Amino acid sequence: MVASRGQKLSGIQKQVLSLYRGFLRTARSKQPENRTHIESLVSAEFRRNSQMIDRKNFLHIEYLLRRGKKQLDQLKTVDSVRLSSSNVELPDTNRP
Amino acid sequence: MAAVPVTCVRLTASMHTNQVVGRTSTLKLVSVGRARSRFPVLRTSRFQISCSAKPETVNRVCEIVKTQLALGNDSKVEPDSKFSALGADSLDTVEIVMTLEEEFGISVEEENSQNITTVQEAADLIEKLVEKKNAPA
Repeated sequence: MVASRGQKLSGIQKQVLSLYRGFLRTARSKQPENRTHIESLVSAEFRRNSQMIDRKNFLHIEYLLRRGKKQLDQLKTVDSVRLSSSNVELPDTNRP
Repeated sequence: MAAVPVTCVRLTASMHTNQVVGRTSTLKLVSVGRARSRFPVLRTSRFQISCSAKPETVNRVCEIVKTQLALGNDSKVEPDSKFSALGADSLDTVEIVMTLEEEFGISVEEENSQNITTVQEAADLIEKLVEKKNAPA
């Protein structure tokens, strides 16, 4: 869904890339080892979905976008340090 | 009786829209033709900018792109190389821009980061942003 080359990106593609950027930005604020962990998970998840999901399957992409935004918000606000690996969902967070 | 004029109006209305559609499509064609004829001009202006971006910056960008895309030492990354030609998808491009941000201590606006397609464009934008950062507010 994000494999367009040399052509203008669609709105939904921009949203996906913006979300990806948001995750990478947020990962910067974490501890180095957690950061690499988050980055590799997020990158793997985006890449997997970009291969698996048909680029015209807007409903699914929009669902994933919403889910991703929620997860990003959680990653931002709570001082959560890690993401769980299976489906990139936040584990129990240790609130201060 | 009243129905007849109504359909007439509809017909003319639809004809109008057809004409409008036709017009916009020809307009588009014209603009494409213009863009093509202007292309060499754009190129030369880009080369002028390329003189302004320091070779160090360009080289650093090349190195970062190389490591980010895990390219071998034998693969050549030229200033004019397109990221997509080097095998980068849009996710890679986002990663490259993020790494460049950290490397140069700048922050690239989202709209700008989507316009970056070559090493040269990245280097030019970086120089501009670094200059902005160092300039007194």
